[in-house]
Amino acid sequence: MFKELDPILHSQLRLAVMSLLIAVKEADFTFIREKTNSTAGNLSVQIQKLKDAGYLEVTKQFKDNYPLTTCRITRQGITAFEDYVKALQDYLKVGQ
Amino acid sequence: MEEEKQLTEQESLKLIQQMINKAKGSYHDTGIGPILWGSVITFCALVTFAQVQFNFDLPFDIWMLTLIAIIPQIFISIREGRMRKVLKYEDIALGYIWTCFGISIFLLIHININLIAHLDPIFKDYNTLKGPHQITFDYASYSTSLFLMLYGMPSILTGGITKFRPMLYGGILCWICCIISVYTNLKTDLLLMALSALAMWLIPGIILRRKYLKGSGCLKN
Repeated sequence: MFKELDPILHSQLRLAVMSLLIAVKEADFTFIREKTNSTAGNLSVQIQKLKDAGYLEVTKQFKDNYPLTTCRITRQGITAFEDYVKALQDYLKVGQ
Repeated sequence: MEEEKQLTEQESLKLIQQMINKAKGSYHDTGIGPILWGSVITFCALVTFAQVQFNFDLPFDIWMLTLIAIIPQIFISIREGRMRKVLKYEDIALGYIWTCFGISIFLLIHININLIAHLDPIFKDYNTLKGPHQITFDYASYSTSLFLMLYGMPSILTGGITKFRPMLYGGILCWICCIISVYTNLKTDLLLMALSALAMWLIPGIILRRKYLKGSGCLKN
């Protein structure tokens, strides 16, 4: 019996954000936008979904009078990501 | 990048791999820190060499410049921290490595001062008693080797962790100079120290600076 792929992670931009953040401690919104080649609006929506799922911790502050959004992956997010990768590997093993 | 595009399992794994590589490949240092310390240590070592070679004294200890250089380094670190868009685990590790290095240098200076203060009277007494068969022991020459040993360590670690070869090779050269300096006199040791600082900090710093300016669009070619 296959484990169902997490619908929160099984989306291109959300998965890209999580994959980026799994490799670093924390990153600014602009860094994530540059690396994922996404629009600010779309990225904001997807980050909010990941935050609502408890996968991301988002900190908003001001730096030199400009808003600064910093994202970091939570422990719950790490577990979800690991489970997602494991489920993907199981699918691929059967497919081979 | 579209949000709701349905991914196949292979596409998902490929995307994960791509993004992790993008995160890892985003190392950039402004190069100001290595340029500062490379210049200061090279300058101090060459001035001390000139003092020994041409037998003159300055009204102050030239190595006090290293203490003064800590002030701009603090500002550089704060500014770079504020400019940083991403904090990687390796950044945290490098922070610990360089902090430990800085503390180790101060500990070594402290040990040296105390050691010389204890050894000097012993040698003076011994030489007074011994008469014409006096022993000469230049601790400063061995002290240079100890400093070179410490200088090389964070440079090799930084070069290895960030895969920045110029700093890695510079650090290795510094350790080679450290071994040589054990068998050479103080004047040669000081030249080896200048060479090491040039190779592991100043030149890699200039390379990093050029890369950084190129990346931020301030430098063409």
